[in-house]
Amino acid sequence: MNLNLNKKIINILIIFFLGLQVSIYIYNQKPLTENFSQKKITVENFSSIVLSKSGINKIGSEKLNKIDEDNIYLEGNSYLENKDYKIYGKNISINLSKEISNSDEPVKVINSMGTLKGKGFKNLDYDGKIFFEGEVEFVINK
Amino acid sequence: MSSINRYFLFFIFIIFFSNANSESFVKAGDSLIWDSENKSYTALGDVEFKNDKFIAFSDKMLAYYIEEKNEEIFTKIELFDNVIIEFKDEIFKGDYAIYTREDNIIKLTGNVSIESPSRLLTGSELIADIDNNKRILNSANKDSLVEVLLENNANN
Repeated sequence: MNLNLNKKIINILIIFFLGLQVSIYIYNQKPLTENFSQKKITVENFSSIVLSKSGINKIGSEKLNKIDEDNIYLEGNSYLENKDYKIYGKNISINLSKEISNSDEPVKVINSMGTLKGKGFKNLDYDGKIFFEGEVEFVINK
Repeated sequence: MSSINRYFLFFIFIIFFSNANSESFVKAGDSLIWDSENKSYTALGDVEFKNDKFIAFSDKMLAYYIEEKNEEIFTKIELFDNVIIEFKDEIFKGDYAIYTREDNIIKLTGNVSIESPSRLLTGSELIADIDNNKRILNSANKDSLVEVLLENNANN
């Protein structure tokens, strides 16, 4: 009786270890070398939240184009928003890994000091700096 | 037009112009940089700055601010090159100016002049104390302090 039970236990252990070896073999295989080309993703009337150094950023656009893993392009009327500012513009490019956004189209920025109007912007989010090139008017709240 | 309408229009006119004149702004011809880490704004090219005290023009402006009750307030304004500050009926000119909000004092240095309807004074440094309506004009040496009585008012 005991002998039969021992055999059963040994068989179960053998099956278990064989299964373990098979699973190790499967998961240890080299990664696939085949190249996948991700198609450009486009979403209309998009609104989302992105995490960056400056905190939570809300972005929205008439049309969002995902160029690749790091780059998105907000086509048409778009906005970027965080706790410090709201940027309203058009055709805004965003590099998520470098935390840079920019546009050459007219832009309006609202912060706690006032409202700024510029001809374009480059936002170095990682550095806390926003550059406005060309003529700029910044009307300060009373 | 009835007198009520006239009073109403006058009232609207007063509101409109009182708001228009009290508007504060920064204008830049070339660029503006908002540095939220150092809490400053840098404006370049034909800069125009206006607050409730004065209007200033220069080639470059560096304005520092603090955050108070969820609002940003300018505490220090630095103006560089071709500085012109218009305060009531006076015009201050210099190469560099610094305004501190805490004491409401404007300090100008380098080729300084102060022009009022009646006279023109030049020197090397001007301290304009706005709250106490006091002006101190310093010169590098005794000879460089110049006072000019302007013609229009001299005749008066």
